Amino acid sequence: MPKRRDVLAGLAATAFLPSKGWASVGKPVAISAAKRSDGQHILVGLSARGSLVFQVPLPDRGHAAAAHPSDAEVVAISRRPGTFALVINCLEGKAKQRLDAPKGHHFYGHATFSRDGRYLFTTENLYETGEGRIGVWERQQGFSRVGDFSSGGIGPHEIILLPNGDLAVANGGIRTHPNSGRDKLNLLSMRSNLSIMSISGTLKDQTELPPSMRLNSLRHIAALPDGTIGFGCQWQGDVFETPALFGTYSGKGGLHFEDVDETQLRSLKGYIGSVAAVGADAFVATSPRGHAALLFGLKDHAAQNYRAHDVCGVTTSAQGVTLLTNGLGQVFSTNTRALSQLAAHNLAFDNHLIAVP
Amino acid sequence: MLKRFVVLLTCVATPGLADIDDVLTDHIAPGYSTLVEATAHLSNVAEETCAPEAITPAFHTAYDAWIRISHIQFGPLEDQGLALAMSFWPDPKDSTGKAIARLTRFADPIVNAPDQFGEVSAAAQGFTALERLLYDPQPDAEYACKFVRAVAEGLSRKAMALESAWPAFADRMTTAGASGNARFQSDEEVNRALYTALSTGLEFLHDQRLGRPLGSFERPRPRRAEARRSERSLRHIVLTLNALEDLTTTFFDGDLSETKAAFAAAKERAASLDDPALAGVANPVERIRVEALQRTVNDIRNAVNEEIGKPLGITAGFNSLDGD
Repeated sequence: MPKRRDVLAGLAATAFLPSKGWASVGKPVAISAAKRSDGQHILVGLSARGSLVFQVPLPDRGHAAAAHPSDAEVVAISRRPGTFALVINCLEGKAKQRLDAPKGHHFYGHATFSRDGRYLFTTENLYETGEGRIGVWERQQGFSRVGDFSSGGIGPHEIILLPNGDLAVANGGIRTHPNSGRDKLNLLSMRSNLSIMSISGTLKDQTELPPSMRLNSLRHIAALPDGTIGFGCQWQGDVFETPALFGTYSGKGGLHFEDVDETQLRSLKGYIGSVAAVGADAFVATSPRGHAALLFGLKDHAAQNYRAHDVCGVTTSAQGVTLLTNGLGQVFSTNTRALSQLAAHNLAFDNHLIAVP
Repeated sequence: MLKRFVVLLTCVATPGLADIDDVLTDHIAPGYSTLVEATAHLSNVAEETCAPEAITPAFHTAYDAWIRISHIQFGPLEDQGLALAMSFWPDPKDSTGKAIARLTRFADPIVNAPDQFGEVSAAAQGFTALERLLYDPQPDAEYACKFVRAVAEGLSRKAMALESAWPAFADRMTTAGASGNARFQSDEEVNRALYTALSTGLEFLHDQRLGRPLGSFERPRPRRAEARRSERSLRHIVLTLNALEDLTTTFFDGDLSETKAAFAAAKERAASLDDPALAGVANPVERIRVEALQRTVNDIRNAVNEEIGKPLGITAGFNSLDGD
């Protein structure tokens, strides 16, 4: 039963805010794809306390999503090699449009809106040539496909909006083809890169991983308010070689890997599943395979360990709270020393948690 | 220490098919107490002699004790970050060789300072380092002797630190869900930790202890076998099978007929191999028998999943398996 004060606050919100805005949706702070125990794939909205604000069925397994900067609308993207994306009105908790990848393309699971919210950008595989593409969709034209441009590499995975309005794309470097499912076709020659581009696709900078890191697939990125990008990799070689997996890019001097001690590095099992920015100078990287999350402080270059089974989703809400989710339906927030559980649901949260504005 | 450990546990009942108390009292506590005794003895022997052949019996006993309990990767071992400092393997970059060479080249006196020795590279601290020092020719015998003493004493100290931290951790396991217990929110989480120790132990046996030396048919890798210098490779496989079987039967009270049969088959295959360092992986005929052993380990994994994982409602991680 909502308290009288909350009801009044809700009414006030309806009266004075644009009705399509995020504030009117029972205050979700983050969204995530998930799988219910009955097998149904869904997209959910989470409140600051970790409760479910809404859930919308998805036709198949989702991966990540893009939240519109002002309107209460998200686009859920199917998991690689899916071809659907679903535009969801979070006010009604309903899907209002389905987007299909153009013929010959499939989605990689991530997307972002432009700063003004007019365009949606999706990472895609033009799979006959293996070329990475960024699909562009114009929202005001009912998400019509405007075109696409090069992602700057093979296997573009996460795409994010930078504070200056540019785009950053993590090109994981691994070629796949839907005919062979999720098999990796080019491990002998793979090369991953981080590409920075304008929203019209003009490449502004591109940095490849060094040859010794050739088998690292740079897939997940997040940006601090000053534009510094944190990236997380997935090692395709012998995990006991324990290469560095997390680093930063600040525009100059290429990619800088953070030095992490061998024990912490081994605990990641060669695999970072998601990265989120925390405050002005820190990142959290999660490893579902290592059942661990590491907080990297850029000031002191210290890494702190958190432990949670199958933890993957991580984001910092607009209110500044870092939230994490796992495959057991738990929602955590970071504490100084450990994770505290906010809620537990009878579902499995999928890889990514996305903050809403 | 062990006595207090037992007293703490007697009043706690675990409902259902899994028996957490039994695992603590009959599997983990004796495992650590044996490790403490064996490493203390090893350290004493190393104090008395510098002759590698005089130290190796105690080395074997202590290494056995470690392999018997090393599958319990959660708890104090994880909290104190000591897993690699006990044993650094697999080691594809030869961190062990490099760390030993570096300390030896500079005759670093840190080997004379037991309180500081825990600060050296983890690769120079464990059984893997000790094996090198005892079985590989050392350029500076006098330094190697001090080094062996430092590693042996360090192992003894680590074993004691782990054992003394276990009662408090065991208490967390048996009071899962109680207010103030941030480590375990429910019995399911404890079951999951134990099941993960079992399944990860089997995976490590299959993929690393067997898979690493097997390599591929075209390219077998006998020099990648664990502890091949001391010819303990097969012994580790047998010890692991016994330890994981003991964990399985202590932990789970339901029907284990498939699992037990698979363990018996694997142990029989391992016993029939007369190949302590697994050098035979490079011989097409002998190799077939090692591959057959590896397949039986896979049978154990499947049986454990069916007979323990499913009844306990534990499935592989949704995100861990994703690969994106």
